Amino acid sequence: MIFAWSILGAMGAAFLAWPLSQVLPRLSGWILSLAPLSIFFLLLGEIGSVSDGAAHVKSFAWVPSLNIELAFRLDGFSLLFALLISGIGTLVTIYAGSYFNGKSTADKGRFLSLILAFMAAMLGTVLSDNLIVMFVFWELTSLISFLLIGFDGEKSEARASALQSLIVTAGGGLVLFAGIVLIGITLDTFSVSEVLERAGELVASQLAGVIAACVIVGAFTKSAQFPFHFWLPNAMAAPTPASAYLHSATMVKLGVFLLARFDQVFATLPGFGETLVVAGSITMLVSGLKAIRAESFKAILAQSTVASLGILVMLIGLDSEVAAVATVGFILAHALYKAALFFCAGTAIHATGEARLANLRGLGRALPFTAIATILASLSMAGLPPFVGFISKEYLFEAQLDSSWAIFPVVVAVIVNAVMVGVAGVVSIRPYYWPTKTPTVVEHGETPGMLVGPMALAGFGILIGLFPAIVAGTVIAPAASALRGEQIEVSFGLWHGLTPMLALSVIVVVIGSVIAIWWEAIHRRLAQYDRFFSLLGDRFYRSAIDSTLALAASSTKLLQNGDQRRYTAVVVLTVTAALAAAFVSMPDFAFLAAEGDIRFAVVAVLALMVLGAIATALVRSLIAGLVASGLVGFGTAVLFMMHGAPDLALTQIAVETLLVVLLTAVLLRLPARRRHSRTGGERNRDAVLALGFALMIFVALASVGVSPIDLRLSEYFANASYVEAYGRNVVNVILVDFRAIDTLGEIAVVAFATVAAWGLLRGPAKLIRTKD
Amino acid sequence: MSLIYAFSVSALMGVGIYLMLSRHLMRMLFGVVILSTAANLLIFVSGGLQAVAPPIIQGDMNILGETAANPLPQALILTAIVIGFALVAFAAALVLKAYGTIGSVFTDDQNDAERLGSPFYEEGPRNG
Repeated sequence: MIFAWSILGAMGAAFLAWPLSQVLPRLSGWILSLAPLSIFFLLLGEIGSVSDGAAHVKSFAWVPSLNIELAFRLDGFSLLFALLISGIGTLVTIYAGSYFNGKSTADKGRFLSLILAFMAAMLGTVLSDNLIVMFVFWELTSLISFLLIGFDGEKSEARASALQSLIVTAGGGLVLFAGIVLIGITLDTFSVSEVLERAGELVASQLAGVIAACVIVGAFTKSAQFPFHFWLPNAMAAPTPASAYLHSATMVKLGVFLLARFDQVFATLPGFGETLVVAGSITMLVSGLKAIRAESFKAILAQSTVASLGILVMLIGLDSEVAAVATVGFILAHALYKAALFFCAGTAIHATGEARLANLRGLGRALPFTAIATILASLSMAGLPPFVGFISKEYLFEAQLDSSWAIFPVVVAVIVNAVMVGVAGVVSIRPYYWPTKTPTVVEHGETPGMLVGPMALAGFGILIGLFPAIVAGTVIAPAASALRGEQIEVSFGLWHGLTPMLALSVIVVVIGSVIAIWWEAIHRRLAQYDRFFSLLGDRFYRSAIDSTLALAASSTKLLQNGDQRRYTAVVVLTVTAALAAAFVSMPDFAFLAAEGDIRFAVVAVLALMVLGAIATALVRSLIAGLVASGLVGFGTAVLFMMHGAPDLALTQIAVETLLVVLLTAVLLRLPARRRHSRTGGERNRDAVLALGFALMIFVALASVGVSPIDLRLSEYFANASYVEAYGRNVVNVILVDFRAIDTLGEIAVVAFATVAAWGLLRGPAKLIRTKD
Repeated sequence: MSLIYAFSVSALMGVGIYLMLSRHLMRMLFGVVILSTAANLLIFVSGGLQAVAPPIIQGDMNILGETAANPLPQALILTAIVIGFALVAFAAALVLKAYGTIGSVFTDDQNDAERLGSPFYEEGPRNG
């Protein structure tokens, strides 16, 4: 079970990439490619063990209390993905090594490190047997792709695209996580193998529909299906090696991987397959049209990638048995030719510094091998014999004709495949062999590192096309069997006889050729419908982001507006509202408990205090306000005296006296009050707020007497003061004996306040700014 | 009597809040003084006011007599009075310093850390 360690191997290589690129800048791509290459061969060795449709699971304990273990699963389907990831990863590493030769070694090291880390995350996602572990790797791919797309961070376009892809894919990942948690709640397991075994139980549960919807959203965001199709073409801001890896072979296919895995579970759920077929078809049509509209070389390829993903999603949704074979075959064929095409596009763009397809002309002479690789990959993409693309397309049509669906998916598939043929023709012939008088200036030719990838992939495409037996029994059949959950015999062959599928292929090629020849005209015609196509773009994403930012800005203006008065008001309002809510929510609330005889002396003191307080608020002069507020303080002291609290009265008098002295000293240095700090309206609103607060306090305090006071602590102190602490003044004993540490803390607070005040006031104040 | 107490304490608190909402630093400080005094009274009133003898154990007894006032709120309030004084004293020092360096006792002039109206000095670049 050595396959589980491949993830660790890729991570190790990622850590090595940066230092290695510093030491051996020119060779680091070649050396680092040994890591994915050895993983590839290691996985090749596993082919025999899964050929009978078996699945191997290896697990290590991780969080046993939460049912989470580091469990890895290898079956035919995950092996196919792991082989693609490591195989294309090898070529991408070599290619990137050459691609970044002109750039700084720091950039090169960073890029290689990210690519290898990305490969580790990808391997983790496809090999995980625990859904939580898979989710961790899944989000890791989103994060690393964010870094890769935004690699040229100094370009605002790259930053925006990176952010967009992160928000869409990681956001969808969170929805997927919700689905995973629901699966865990329903089945009490996160193990993929167990979920596949107990599929019937899951589908029968009440949450089945919600779970399926969550999985679909997660997969659609990752695989750029309508209505989340907009982020992938924008993600072409990434350096081309990253595009080749992320957007052709691997990351965007993760959604397809997930759907294919769960199709086995949800196939019997009503509406699941239909949703996939409809969404896939819409995606195919939209991106097919946008491919013809696109101007940049990479954008055309990106749109055709989205269309291919739509084909895959639709295939998964189909219910015919051959659909599994078609899915697997198309995943393989598409990965081979699309990665090759991205490599070639990258070479052409790198060599000329020109990204628009219309400006690339006559490169066949300067980049001969790239041109050949492009032609080979394009022919596979066009689905012409003897390439693997032809075989997979035949299977696509067969799966559609076999399914219970009517003619609708077939028509969509014919149109989109015709567009693919058109795209293939345009991207292969126009930049390289189209007759021109002014070929684009080439700054440098091909380098070996930039040829290995496209040549290997294109060559492999034709090799499999000619000898399909190489993959039919070893890779395709186990993968398809793993998808169906039962052993399938696969006759993956070039010639199937004179079938309806062949007729459809001929139609596709004819329409496709027309599209290729009239490309300019169709392109110009479609370019006119800006308004319509903006609806199919990321307009809704943009408006959602913009309105979120606007909401944040306005709420910040409202709540964080820098005015102390507003902050205080918010606090007061919150307290008042919380008190009011507490009162309202009390079921049988009795309040206004009038008790005790009225003592007129006390009433007089209280009246004096209230009057003093009101006077403080009303008088204009600050000194008069201080005097009036002194009434409150000294009145309190008198109250304490009248209610058997001589210690409090003494302290209050002392403090009040000190306060008057201190505040008078401060007031002497301040200017006399000249203006109101609040407008009349503000003062009225504040009065209402203060009144509301006072009302709540009144209600609270008036109802205190209703419930009896808990006197247990008081009684304890009353009984223990003399017996245990030998003090007769109970208040004093509490402070200096029972709660001595608290009192020490209090003394410390006073000491700190003194030190801080002294620190503030020592030395002359330096005026840094004048107001008024 | 309890209702009169409740009315008085809540009236003091209302005035304290009203003053604290002012933008004049000294009036805010008056508000704090009145509010903390009222809070002390609130604790005092909540502890029960029926008994009026000081909570002192008589010479011939080992425990507090039945008529003595509740000692617990008094101990709490004693702490609160002192802490409240320390707070006001420090705040007064701050007011003085702020006036000395900024030349104003109004909070809406003291906005060096946070600009009024908007937390942003300028609109940041929009996404995309």
